[in-house]
Amino acid sequence: MLALALTVVLSPFVSWGQDDLMNFFGEEEKPTVVTSAFKAGRIINVQSPETCGEGEMNFIIAHRFGRLSDGWYDLFGLDNAQMRMGLDYGITDRIQVGVARSTFGKTLEGNLKWRFLEQMNGGGSPVSLTGYSVAMRDGLRLPEDGIERKGVHRMSYVHQLVITRKWSPEFSLAVIPSLVHRNLVDRPDRPNDVSTLGVGFRYKLNRRMSVNGEYHYLLPRPIEDGLHNSLSLGLDIETGGHVFQLHVTNSRGMFERAFLAETPGRWQDGDLYFGFNINRVFQVRETR
Amino acid sequence: MRNFTLLLTLCMWASAGHAQRFVTRDAQISFLSETPLEDIQAESLAASAIFDMATGELAFQAPILSFHFPKALMEEHFNENYMESEQFPKASFRGVVAGLVPDKEGEQMVTVTGTLDMHGVAKERAIEGTMTRDGEWWIVASQFEVACEDHDIDIPKVVSENIAEIIGVTLRAELKLK
Repeated sequence: MLALALTVVLSPFVSWGQDDLMNFFGEEEKPTVVTSAFKAGRIINVQSPETCGEGEMNFIIAHRFGRLSDGWYDLFGLDNAQMRMGLDYGITDRIQVGVARSTFGKTLEGNLKWRFLEQMNGGGSPVSLTGYSVAMRDGLRLPEDGIERKGVHRMSYVHQLVITRKWSPEFSLAVIPSLVHRNLVDRPDRPNDVSTLGVGFRYKLNRRMSVNGEYHYLLPRPIEDGLHNSLSLGLDIETGGHVFQLHVTNSRGMFERAFLAETPGRWQDGDLYFGFNINRVFQVRETR
Repeated sequence: MRNFTLLLTLCMWASAGHAQRFVTRDAQISFLSETPLEDIQAESLAASAIFDMATGELAFQAPILSFHFPKALMEEHFNENYMESEQFPKASFRGVVAGLVPDKEGEQMVTVTGTLDMHGVAKERAIEGTMTRDGEWWIVASQFEVACEDHDIDIPKVVSENIAEIIGVTLRAELKLK
């Protein structure tokens, strides 16, 4: 009886005493931002939700080689490459501007990316939302066909929304609707506006490597003859200040209009291009 | 019997009333990795600490995501590659203070023996520091070292010249009577 009474009287105090110290820490739980859904600014071709940190500059050099099906003569495409060089800069941790130049179509681009909603842990948004807009200028010499063209006719634009959820530390998934607008198209059956719906993912193999993929489905159907959906698969390798992205894709152009709306190749026909992106980050302004 | 229970309850109440707790939510913890090539420093101003004067228990907890670096990329690597902060969001230390004279004003050297839990690995540690009583405040300060290896924090060879194997930690907390 005494023992029982003792236990009853003592137990609340004992447990209260232990829990309380931990309770103090428990009370402070605040929602935290989910970071690093992807490693680089691009999943492969398409934008990921990642931007440069404030004051950071990212130099991206990317190549897409020739067709793998070209065989030994072109060393499976390695003999000829398309290149894109880009510079991105983080104005804040969530707003980034960039410029780039591609050999493909001698295209110059300017872009703006804004991750305006963060995914939160412990209350808040379940996804992050990132807007991306890019203006592209075709730089090829105009054909002398008697048709008058102005500077604006060289321009095309892509706007997209990157909806991302990092499901686990290993797996992130993005859904990416895009709108492509071309001021001038060179074929009568080619619409000025094309929209696509894309998905992209990352699966981390370990702390430094991940498998990435993306697929863009052209809307609306039926699509222009000879064009196909873009499918890319790749591997991200991170080594301190660099991220190396190696991949195989059926899209050779590295700016949005080209790979979203103007992909002529098909995987099943062997129209595959090996390529890489190398991302190198510099801190040009220390801000914290 | 009833009297005994009453007495016991009173005793417990009395001791519970004595349990003076000092707390803070904005303790400052910084660390420094020094190598000939590069010094890397980070700081958190969001650690919590609690000190129970009755039991001598002292506990700290720091959210790993609250450590900020001068460069965004360092912070990303810290969270993603080294601390794996999504899996192990907090570092904590819980120990018992030895050598403290509770009512003495001024600085006192103390040793706190307990468990340092970081990156999912708990280590028994005896950490030296100072505690200073100032009315209803306790100022706790310490400098100690943490070996990455002790907590399974793997530093690959490529960056071993940039990141120190032994990290110096500096801590300062002003705990107020709750």
